[in-house]
Amino acid sequence: MKKIEINPMTRLEGHGKIAIFLDDNGNVDEAFFQVVEFRGFEKFLVGLPIEEVPRTVSTICGVCRGVHFTAAMKASDGVYGVQPTPTARKLRELFFNAHYVEDHAVILYALGLPDFVVGPSAPAAQRNVVGLINVVGAQLGREVLRKRGCAVKIFEMLGGKPNHPVAALPGGWSKTINESERAQIEEWSLELIELSKLTLKVFEEVVLGNPAYMELVTGDMYRVPVNYMATTDADGMLTLYDGTQKVIDVNGNQIASFTGKEYIDHISERVLPWTYLKMPYQKKIGWKGIVDGEGTSLYSVGPLARFNVSKGIPTPLANEEYKKFFATFGGRPVHNILGYHWARAIELLHCSERCLELSRDPEITGSDNRAPLGEVTGEGIGIIEAPRGTLIHHYNTDEKGVVTDANIVVATTHNKGPINLAVRKAAKHFIKNGNVDETILNHVEMAYRPYDLCLGCATHAIRPGSSPIEVTIYDDKKEVVKSLRNF
Amino acid sequence: MLKDDRAGIEVAERIERSDLAVDTEVIYGVGFEVNDKIMGYEDVIIIDAAKVGYPPGTVTEVTVDDIFTDHNLAISHAVTLGSTLKVGYDLFPDEMPKKLRIFLIEAEDYFEFTRQCSPKVVEAIDRVVALIHRHFTGGTTETTH
Repeated sequence: MKKIEINPMTRLEGHGKIAIFLDDNGNVDEAFFQVVEFRGFEKFLVGLPIEEVPRTVSTICGVCRGVHFTAAMKASDGVYGVQPTPTARKLRELFFNAHYVEDHAVILYALGLPDFVVGPSAPAAQRNVVGLINVVGAQLGREVLRKRGCAVKIFEMLGGKPNHPVAALPGGWSKTINESERAQIEEWSLELIELSKLTLKVFEEVVLGNPAYMELVTGDMYRVPVNYMATTDADGMLTLYDGTQKVIDVNGNQIASFTGKEYIDHISERVLPWTYLKMPYQKKIGWKGIVDGEGTSLYSVGPLARFNVSKGIPTPLANEEYKKFFATFGGRPVHNILGYHWARAIELLHCSERCLELSRDPEITGSDNRAPLGEVTGEGIGIIEAPRGTLIHHYNTDEKGVVTDANIVVATTHNKGPINLAVRKAAKHFIKNGNVDETILNHVEMAYRPYDLCLGCATHAIRPGSSPIEVTIYDDKKEVVKSLRNF
Repeated sequence: MLKDDRAGIEVAERIERSDLAVDTEVIYGVGFEVNDKIMGYEDVIIIDAAKVGYPPGTVTEVTVDDIFTDHNLAISHAVTLGSTLKVGYDLFPDEMPKKLRIFLIEAEDYFEFTRQCSPKVVEAIDRVVALIHRHFTGGTTETTH
């Protein structure tokens, strides 16, 4: 048996490894997505006052800083038994949507689109953001970066500090804005809408207008039928900051609905010896293994899941694109994972529209930015839709609000099973008779990029003992000659 | 917070506490936010911890091209520092710093949760802080590994 490794995986957050095992005919027998990095934030948070946690968890990752901050802030509301005031809530949402725009824009232009704009067969050294700019031109590149910079400015103005925000308060938001700042944010938000329209135009011209790419987008090689989990508002529409978590099966039927702590009744995490990343599954279905199709207990989160679970998008321009998305695929749920990129581009537009709406909301300049704290409840759960998918922060505290236990379930962890399936499916499709070259391996890597992995966030749990390592040696008859393991 | 991973932060904090008249910024990422911070400045020094393979505490000065050449560097922080800076100089040549120096401090341990760097990295931090002082006050600034 021949083993192929793609290590380290390129263009994702953190460190991972794909191991592909070939049979004697040189076809793929099995493929694994492994995570080998580890950070241990859950243990580190124990002993911190809950109000310090948002600022601390924002350093889990240089990219996902705003989402951990927001989820932990919502959890701190729970610990202090308080809900944010209307102005605080809107400021939080404005901050969060601006963060979405800057994050989604980077993911699309730097990580997702190079495969299409530069081409999946282009040399690896060119399939990156610099190569993309070489193709689309410096003028467009400048325009994208300048407009994206408007989202960063909103993020920083509201967050109170560059890069890693500090404005979170239990039940509030410390940074209020005056009329002049509001007008500036409104102006920036208009730029963000232009950025989103431009991005959708690029996507339409480069991907939707290319029959060869559309074969990949709609083909079975990148189709992973699993369940989907996402958050919706009271009308069943896509929402990001707060709402009800819903799960649908592979046929689109709702199989679960929950909020807050109820997530424990619906999500289990299976610890696997070959990766630091735990593999979640739908608890009520039970662990069925790493399999897709009807009856699977694996589920996906993120832009495609949000599209599949929701009935629509509550902003007009993005909702029109949402309808076009499903019309193109010809039904729902959409299991074609390259659709993640398109859904991400449409969400970019939605978040830009939300920034504009919120900037024009009369309450956004209010001064009621903090609600009085209640009694310490000892527990808080913050669930949001992060750009990469549902993010859960769950804290228990003592009577003073000092963290005694933390559990963080991030999008990349939710998606662990489907990522494995996607890598396996792509590997089986593209690797035949032992023929493997850089182009083929890139097509395999294209199976995980839609999920917008962040392994720096995902590998946060410390398990006692040493790092699990297994070395297995096979002979040409696939029989194990020797196996060494430390777990 | 991850031991030697904070070497760059430690340098920035020490410079900030000193009487050197420069702006400092701590950034926990290497994406486009780096360009957002350095554009408009004339003379910039970037310090980061790294695991390149040199003995712990080694200080290496690299150029943008040095850290852009390998696409596999794009593994850990979405866009690499090299890609970020390259894009900045390609698209905004007039706004990016005319002078840019990048120093990497070789880490020994970046897994333990502590604010205390390992001894060899502490020595390296001392050297880099001194080097930055010399750079901005007109002294000799050759790196000593």
